[in-house]
Amino acid sequence: MLALKELIRRRLQFSLIALVITLIAYLILMINGLGVGLNQLAGSALWKLGGNAIAYAEEAEISIIRSELGIEALNALKNQPEIDHVAALGYLAVNIGGEAEGTNLRSAALLSLNLDEQTTIEMPKIIAGRTLQSDNPEILASTEFLKDSGLSIGDEVLIQIRLGEWPFTIVGEVEAGMFFFQPTIFVDQLIWQDLKYGERVATTPIASVVLLSADNFEKLEIEGIDIVSKKEAFANIEGVAGQQSTVAALRVFGYLIGALVVGAFFYVLTLQKEAQLGVLKAIGASSTYLFFQVMTQTILISLIGIAVSVPLAWGTAEGLSKLPTRVPVAFEVETFVTTSIILVVMGIIGSLLSGSRIARVDPIIALGQQQ
Amino acid sequence: MTVVNPMLEVTALGKTYSSGSEKVHAVKEVSFTASSGEFIAIVGPSGSGKTTLLAMLGALLTPSQGEIQVNNQQIERLSAKKRTNYRKKNVGYVFQSNNLVPFLTAKENLLLISTIGGVKKNIAQNRATQLLEELGLSERANALATELSGGERQRIAIGRALMNRPDLILVDEPTAALDSERGERVVRSLIKEVKQRNVLGIMVTHDLAMANKADRVLEMKDGFLNELQESNN
Ligand SMILES: Nc1ncnc2c1ncn2[C@@H]1O[C@H](COP(=O)(O)OP(=O)(O)OP(=O)(O)O)[C@@H](O)[C@H]1O
Ligand SMILES: [Mg+2]
Repeated sequence: MLALKELIRRRLQFSLIALVITLIAYLILMINGLGVGLNQLAGSALWKLGGNAIAYAEEAEISIIRSELGIEALNALKNQPEIDHVAALGYLAVNIGGEAEGTNLRSAALLSLNLDEQTTIEMPKIIAGRTLQSDNPEILASTEFLKDSGLSIGDEVLIQIRLGEWPFTIVGEVEAGMFFFQPTIFVDQLIWQDLKYGERVATTPIASVVLLSADNFEKLEIEGIDIVSKKEAFANIEGVAGQQSTVAALRVFGYLIGALVVGAFFYVLTLQKEAQLGVLKAIGASSTYLFFQVMTQTILISLIGIAVSVPLAWGTAEGLSKLPTRVPVAFEVETFVTTSIILVVMGIIGSLLSGSRIARVDPIIALGQQQ
Repeated sequence: MTVVNPMLEVTALGKTYSSGSEKVHAVKEVSFTASSGEFIAIVGPSGSGKTTLLAMLGALLTPSQGEIQVNNQQIERLSAKKRTNYRKKNVGYVFQSNNLVPFLTAKENLLLISTIGGVKKNIAQNRATQLLEELGLSERANALATELSGGERQRIAIGRALMNRPDLILVDEPTAALDSERGERVVRSLIKEVKQRNVLGIMVTHDLAMANKADRVLEMKDGFLNELQESNN
């Protein structure tokens, strides 16, 4: 009762504190959003493709750039009873430009699909245009690629690889995300072999890696092949480890600074009220009762701060995604939930600080206090 | 008046404040007894130690020497927790500076102490209404403490002290901000409370007219306490 009445009757003061908490929460959310966004840049395509594990050539040491798998490897995987489905996936970093003179070259992550093989592993969803025709110089472009390049379905493009230029037509748009910090494009597996190796003979690798869905893949022992979870595959994308530790450090600092600011604010508030707390103690209020009041206020104010900052952060991410240049800020529900919980816990820790102060307030100050 | 079973027994009570190297002997060798049903006035010049004595009786201040017994319970060396409990359960204290909670209304200031004391809501409501009536403040019940006049605040502070029906009512200068008519009304309320519920009331005042309404008048001078007169009514 006391805590709520104070909140309402001294709303100006408390609104200002709520504002500061809102800004801190917003800052922390944006840092987290940056982490999620950067991870999406690094490899959202990996998550959009189906399967739960990825097979690499053993000598590649979980590097998709170095990994090459032939038809025997694919068959060996298919023959494992534990493995339900497989899908060969080729990767190639390419430069790509429009047919017209003066179009800027841009990098893209070129991935291959096997159109002959009927696979039940989920492949990128086509949202416009049509799918590829086997052995045709066609590409499917991700939404990200189309947005970055300004190209659209039907446009002719040139893929530059191995000192040559290869003409392609964009035939469809897929919801496929980013890979290796580049927007993805897809070609038929045969075309990928042409682009990467310049030939198709019996020994030409058919893929960089193989996506698979399997239970207990950790237990599988196949000669010459390493199987890891998607999560591990993601962490092994070159550049991701460093990026994740940077974002983790930012988050820790964000939370620490947040805890300090929130704690300091409520502590100052308690200091200001010391005289009043003394009077309440003098008329018989226990430290526990008074601490409960401060705690209630802290939690309420933190919740208000969160309630305002979550839509604010979400709106910012939406706004940023409409910009022509890509700003890597994105949110997952989980980001909001964990950040909110951590902020409330920080507020509680901050109010514990006030608690020790409250315990030390001497009711004698009630005698000298003039209103 | 012979004291059969004293509710309050103060023995050789002393308080020395030390601020830096300077020592102030505010209360010296004070001994007296009082029983329930009594209304006692303490008079004396400014700085003579009246507030200090009252604060020790209310367990707000720890004595330097001596003993205080209330209802056969030694209170001068209780733990902080037990002193809080003693203040909550047994004492109604009116501070010289009335110290209301500024963001609460007059009535809420009264109800607050019942919340702290764990008194049932409807009982507290009735009691608050009754006290506001008695102190002539029904009209101001919903005014914030900061909107009340000095005299109104003082009367609310008295109401607050009486809210939970304490056995020991300690009042420091309750009529300082009041005109004689309102002052008299306040003192009559206090006396009525003391007599009706057979509790002990101790009032510090510099107003001799008010002091004369008490059963006994004690005088503090330079830290010492003397009985001035037995009841004359
Ligand atoms: N916290 C303190 N530290 C040091 N000296 C104090 C303290 N509180 C009171 N004193 C001194 O103790 C003496 C008694 O003070 P006290 O407040 O008990 O007087 P009082 O009789 O209530 O006076 P008044 O009528 O002005 O309220 C005074 O000399 C005062 O200056
Ligand atoms: Mg005084």
